[in-house]
Amino acid sequence: MIVQKTVRFLDERLRISGFSKKTLRRIFPDHWSFLLGEIALYLFLILIGTGIFLTFFYSPSAREVIYSGSYEPLRGTHMSQAYESMLNISFEVRSGLVMRQIHHWAALLFLAVLVVHMLRVFFTGAFRKPRELNWIIGLTLLTLGLLAGFSGYSLPDDLLSGTGLRIGYSVALSIPVVGTWLAFLVFGGEFPFGNILSRLYVIHILIIPGAIGLLLALHLAMVWRQKHTQFPGPMRTEQKIVGTRMWPTYAVKAGALFFLTGATVTLLAGLFQINPVWIYGPFDPAKVSAGAQPDWYLGWLEGALRLMPPWEVRAFGFTIPNPFFPGLLIPGLTFNILYAWPWIEAKFTKDKQPHNLLNRPRDVPVRTALGVAGLAFYTVLFVAGGNDVIAGLFNLPLERVTQGLQVMALALPVVAGIATYKICKELKGRTPKTGHEHGHVIVRTAEGVYETVEPEKV
Amino acid sequence: MNQPSQEDRAVRRIAVAFGLSTLAGLALAVVYILGGNVQAEGILLAISLGGLGWGLAEWAGKLMSKGPEVGDYEDPPPPGDEEEVAEVVAEGWDESFGRRKFLLRMMGAAAGAMGLALVFPIRSLGPSPGTSLLRTAWRTGSRMVREDGQLVRAADLAVEGVLTVFPEGETDQADSQTVLIRVDPALLASDEGTAEGLIAYSKICTHAGCPVGLYRVATHDLFCPCHQSTFDVLDGAKPIAGPATRALPQLPIEVDDEGYVVATDDFAEPVGPSFWNMDR
Amino acid sequence: MSSLAGVASAVTAEVQEGEALFQNACSSCHGPDGRGTDLGPPILDAGAAGADFMLSTGRMPLDDPHRQPIRKPPAFNSEQISQIAAYVASLGDGPEIPDVDVDEGEVALGQQLYSENCAACHSSAGAGGAVGAGLEAPALNRSTPVEVVEAMRIGPGAMPVFQEETLSKHDADSIASYLVYLREVPDPGGLGMRRIGPIAEGAVAWIAGIGLFVLICRFVGEKE
Repeated sequence: MIVQKTVRFLDERLRISGFSKKTLRRIFPDHWSFLLGEIALYLFLILIGTGIFLTFFYSPSAREVIYSGSYEPLRGTHMSQAYESMLNISFEVRSGLVMRQIHHWAALLFLAVLVVHMLRVFFTGAFRKPRELNWIIGLTLLTLGLLAGFSGYSLPDDLLSGTGLRIGYSVALSIPVVGTWLAFLVFGGEFPFGNILSRLYVIHILIIPGAIGLLLALHLAMVWRQKHTQFPGPMRTEQKIVGTRMWPTYAVKAGALFFLTGATVTLLAGLFQINPVWIYGPFDPAKVSAGAQPDWYLGWLEGALRLMPPWEVRAFGFTIPNPFFPGLLIPGLTFNILYAWPWIEAKFTKDKQPHNLLNRPRDVPVRTALGVAGLAFYTVLFVAGGNDVIAGLFNLPLERVTQGLQVMALALPVVAGIATYKICKELKGRTPKTGHEHGHVIVRTAEGVYETVEPEKV
Repeated sequence: MNQPSQEDRAVRRIAVAFGLSTLAGLALAVVYILGGNVQAEGILLAISLGGLGWGLAEWAGKLMSKGPEVGDYEDPPPPGDEEEVAEVVAEGWDESFGRRKFLLRMMGAAAGAMGLALVFPIRSLGPSPGTSLLRTAWRTGSRMVREDGQLVRAADLAVEGVLTVFPEGETDQADSQTVLIRVDPALLASDEGTAEGLIAYSKICTHAGCPVGLYRVATHDLFCPCHQSTFDVLDGAKPIAGPATRALPQLPIEVDDEGYVVATDDFAEPVGPSFWNMDR
Repeated sequence: MSSLAGVASAVTAEVQEGEALFQNACSSCHGPDGRGTDLGPPILDAGAAGADFMLSTGRMPLDDPHRQPIRKPPAFNSEQISQIAAYVASLGDGPEIPDVDVDEGEVALGQQLYSENCAACHSSAGAGGAVGAGLEAPALNRSTPVEVVEAMRIGPGAMPVFQEETLSKHDADSIASYLVYLREVPDPGGLGMRRIGPIAEGAVAWIAGIGLFVLICRFVGEKE
């Protein structure tokens, strides 16, 4: 009765019944790997929720205060109001620390899931026509996610976050011609910038989440419009989509996924301490801590900065400083190539057809090999971001570790790419049979139709 | 004896999941009232969310129709659609702007001028770099102080001792942070700008600007913990490892009659990371 | 008179005992008279503090003189250590074993001085870190307050010296009391993961977080 009345009310005003019927009956392919993107959506919601709670207590002010809260080693210490408010959230606000930890874990996982989701889309060819635009939106979401992470990491005004900002400023300063002006405009002056916190705060809690929200809506609307891709299988063709109906099964599954995502994040937040800002102490431009690292998602840039040999360009009285190459050129090239990938690939394969069926990675050896090679390169950079920790853990001289990683950054992509190509060719030639040969291969029914799943590890 | 059917077992599991979730939710409220505890809160939240999620997943997976159901993908657009759209656009254009080229250009000029004007407020975001990156607060005769403002005497440092210092009264000037080290004077490649084995370098890494806080006595070098650039203290802080390309600028110092360490000039080169026009 | 002479002879006896131990365990590298050899540096001015630090943290004696000494169980008991320390002290003009009163120190001052002078190598959390050239700043979670202050005064290995003019006794007590605080007060947020920061956090996110997500997806979604 209530449903009828509501629908009638809305229908008379907005004409929703046709759309609702279609929506409720919509079919969703629900292969497990398609759910990773959905998890990213739920993590975003968790970030918004916990983030709103945190904004009620955080203060983006550089004004100097003397701490008098309950964390003994900092009592009487001069610090910014921002850092003080972080300590208060951690020690004074009831449930404040668990909220902070949920927020931070959700952020780390949000970016991790975005990367895994992107790899799934890449290796299965889901970005091909007609879905290139959504690939672009997805990449932009990843970029925004990185910026959201960096701006959030910088807000506590502790020693780690200040060091991160300092490096970001130095990379901005390294841009040819406009670097100094750009750095001064973006950061509001020479380091250690007066009002960068309020600027970052607006970026972190309004601009970026707003943009992510909008693009996310667009991302989902496009999936809605174009319908999800599917792996080949019985009855599954370029014209026919096979899956579960939106109402009730898929909707209930989505709800389950939301709650289980939340459970994972809160479990980590309860078990593992994250970013103990009280240990790092307030930011002071003359101090630094050994083992200062960014959060994992910027580890590849940190690693690139560490692996770069001491080269810079000096000519005609001008300088292109060293950090420009690893800090801007590499990420710039990376994202540009990724953005252009659907068109680059279409140009080489001369494939202008729309695709609703996904590739098995082994069936497109060149793409898979190139993807694995790229992944190998960024993995080496990522590992290099922790070269000091590796040196400590394995008791190796740091310089040797760095040299080894420099060689690997160049060699491993080639080796991994060739090996992948060979493996793909080998697997492709083989008739699929029951069992697990590589990754996850299962034969379906007597018709002998199968599908594979690439285990998406980084 | 009746074996419980698969359905019965699923129902039982779902009931257990929701039951656990309920208990955890209630316990969560109790924990909050008692004063809160991160571990308890995180784990109870996980159980209450996880119970709901597990129950729903079982419900959807075991008790609801799984299909598979079949639907249709969108058909590709019929050919000729784009021509129609283009025609509508062209008609409208010809009928309006197309006929009034002069007004169109005027409108373009107005929009351009407005766009240009809107760029200017970006200038408010930060000061002009000017010479701020080329100079620090060190002047001839600046006495050295520690970060807490205490004056530095030459006698404060043992051989192989190290201190972070600032010009007197300027301890908030981050670009002036300097590391003062005492070494055996006989080891120094050049004693210019040093006094009694005391030698001072900018503490800001020339690579990405981290404080080069780490002095390795055994090899007499400064090591940056961020990207591991290494500088030879005995030989003008030239970079010997890592990504840095420039030496740390040296601060010329002397010891005055009262035993205080003073600067005899500002750094000769810009401190901190390199930039485009640093040599101009 | 006689009691003074007794003290003096007890001291001499201790030095002699120490010398015997030294000749046995240390002289092969540091030379029979402590002037050093190709294998080990001179230790004439290492002082009681230097000897006590190296021996009580098990850094000396060293199996392989080409490696950085690391913490291990001490080879001597505390009596033997003080005998060797007495002998080393008699060789030259080195620092005495410092007297450390953790209770006199101020934890907050210690935090400040620690982050100013120590964190660059030993990390904010006292977790230690690689400092290049094959060297490692050790973690400070097992160092006793006396060992911490001894290290400051003598500057073992690659570590700089922080003498009393640089960091006063009160400063040193405060740093020691901060380290005791760091060690003894549990992590409020859960497992600290050796307090090595974002790297450990990233590993947990990828292994536990993404691992759980994959399991969840396979539980909720279709597996074929």
